[in-house]
Amino acid sequence: MNALLTLTIANIRSFTRDRTALFWTFAFPVIFVLLFGAIFSGGGSTRYAVGWVDQDGTAASAELRQAFAQITLLRLHDGSLAASLDAMRQGNLQAVVVVPHGYGAAIARSAQVIAGRTSGAAAPGGSPAPGASATPGGGAVHAGLVAPSLAPAAVELQVYTDPSQQSSSATIRQIVSQVVSSLDLALTGRPPALGVSDRTLQSQRLTNAAFLVPGILGMALMQLGVFAAVPLVAQREKLILKRLNATPLPRWTLVGSNVVLRLLIGLVQTVLLLGIGSVVFGVTVLGAPWLMALVVILGALTFTSIGYVVASFARTEESANGIVQVVQFPMMFLSGVFFPIEIMPAVLRPVAAVLPLTYLGDALRQVMVGGSAYAPLPLDLGILAAWLVVCLGIAARFFRWE
Amino acid sequence: MARGADCSGGRSGLNAELQEPVIEVDGLRKRYGDVVAVDGIGFAVRRGEIFGLLGPNGAGKTTTVEILEGLRKPDAGTVRVLGIDAARAPERIKERIGVQLQTVSLYPFLTVTEVLDLFRSFYRHSMPTAWLLEAVELGERRDAQTRHLSGGQRQRLSVALALVNDPELVFLDEPTTGMDPQARRSLWSLVQRLREQGTTVLLTTHYMEEAEQLCDRVAVMDHGHVLELGTVDELVSRRFRERAVHFETLPELDLRELGDLAGVKRAVVEDGQTVLYTADVGATIGALLARTEALGLEPRNLGIRRATLEDVFLDLTGHALRE
Repeated sequence: MNALLTLTIANIRSFTRDRTALFWTFAFPVIFVLLFGAIFSGGGSTRYAVGWVDQDGTAASAELRQAFAQITLLRLHDGSLAASLDAMRQGNLQAVVVVPHGYGAAIARSAQVIAGRTSGAAAPGGSPAPGASATPGGGAVHAGLVAPSLAPAAVELQVYTDPSQQSSSATIRQIVSQVVSSLDLALTGRPPALGVSDRTLQSQRLTNAAFLVPGILGMALMQLGVFAAVPLVAQREKLILKRLNATPLPRWTLVGSNVVLRLLIGLVQTVLLLGIGSVVFGVTVLGAPWLMALVVILGALTFTSIGYVVASFARTEESANGIVQVVQFPMMFLSGVFFPIEIMPAVLRPVAAVLPLTYLGDALRQVMVGGSAYAPLPLDLGILAAWLVVCLGIAARFFRWE
Repeated sequence: MARGADCSGGRSGLNAELQEPVIEVDGLRKRYGDVVAVDGIGFAVRRGEIFGLLGPNGAGKTTTVEILEGLRKPDAGTVRVLGIDAARAPERIKERIGVQLQTVSLYPFLTVTEVLDLFRSFYRHSMPTAWLLEAVELGERRDAQTRHLSGGQRQRLSVALALVNDPELVFLDEPTTGMDPQARRSLWSLVQRLREQGTTVLLTTHYMEEAEQLCDRVAVMDHGHVLELGTVDELVSRRFRERAVHFETLPELDLRELGDLAGVKRAVVEDGQTVLYTADVGATIGALLARTEALGLEPRNLGIRRATLEDVFLDLTGHALRE
């Protein structure tokens, strides 16, 4: 027991005095979180700058502007059509919405029609659904506000978007369509039968950061474990393992102290990443702390056992480094660390389905942010445990002390 | 070192144990693939002696030592260390022996003191760190990280680690390799101090001088065989009652011809030196000078010496110890 303690202290000292190892272990995941967090969540703000061109200038168009201004995701900038399109070309606006001349008049006409109809007979169902007609590739999208039944009164809002900015264009088009639809419904006087209410589990900035932080924590635990192979092979190559083997030190103590070190590093990484996730991106752990600890420990153990498998087959420190890269790189990019597996090409999805990091990332995501499950949590943990058992078996069979 | 007679396992019959060999090797064989490293050797080491395995690199010394240390399993033969079967129960031996491996680099980021304390924690009984530092003269470097030590200092640390548990039996594998002459001499005096305290030492070396200075008995090894075993004096006088006449080799002189000179038992050429082993130094030198004069030559650096272990080795194997 004394030997386990002194050996663990020796390992901690060796680790913390090796500046390079220290940097890669702790700074790397932190840089990843900050970098990818910044890239994917657009600096933490997801408001779109939208040009507002009012060619109508009536009370109705002012009302419409009011409706759009209430949407927190949009920041409206008034201007002429030419000036707005210019600003969009320069990248200052992500879309331009044009309210054409005659909008107010069309709205007034349709209100009269509806009033007349409701006083007359019940003949509903004939009204064409209000729609947004998209012409992709053309650079402009027309969201049609079509007045019911009497088609001549129809007027179209024009929405200019940039086809090269797919995701923001789609979002803006969707927002415009939604506003238009609800206005349409209000005009026809029919109460909405079906509604959608948006709910998120975390703060408003959840989206990408909430996905990334657990993913990168998983990646850090993966690397921490797999990279255990390198110092292990170095110790074997330098005959340190052989020398230790010439003492009465039991082998389990040696392995145990290495595993304790890995767990401690994993703990520090977890605290570090959760801290950054919480302070910078507002991502906090929703699940029970004990469950979180269980997932982190199981993950660290599983990947450390993979590190031991690598160490079983690598003869030199250099080859260990190479194999570690071969193991960790595909996992980094094919396990849904940075983007969901659902959007991966179909041919790669079966690969993701066997990689252990997929399940660690999924388990962390479920426990930390209540993210949608790739697999049920018990299955995640079961698959990690299976990897652990298999790798321990392989390492026990093939690991050499010299 | 403070080891009393009662520390030897608490067994009765102390005298019997003292007489029993500390190491017994019989019919030991070990091969790696196609290479036979150790080919059926046998020897015994007595309690309290310094026993040397002498031979060139690749002779099988290290393999033999590592089997004795319980680090490798023999293919055949019996190996008893401190009365324990080293192949069956290596764990029981490890507490009582000290081991110094040939190549060492230990925990580069730990200091000398930290490495010593780490190893002390592996044993039930251990020597004080200050004593160990003093024994290998590393006191001044106690707080240096081992990666900053010189080769010789690292070697001394490695020897200190072999003494951590105050062992009954110490294995030193090429202990002075990479040391400067001064460090080598100080290590020799440490080994002699160990013997005075009753510790048995088995060391391997390819330094003739080391074996001559330190070892009570020597086993000469080459190609996995023990060629000769005995005290240094025995080995030398058994083979060479004669002396060695040596000079820088002259290409004009035929070796066979030299072997026929008066008094010469055997003539060999090694490292640019011709060595004539002779029972009659005067007659041999006279004959040699007469022969060279007839050819109009003069032997350079002509000298006479007693035969050494080096000569024994040369005679036994036909090649020099250091290659």
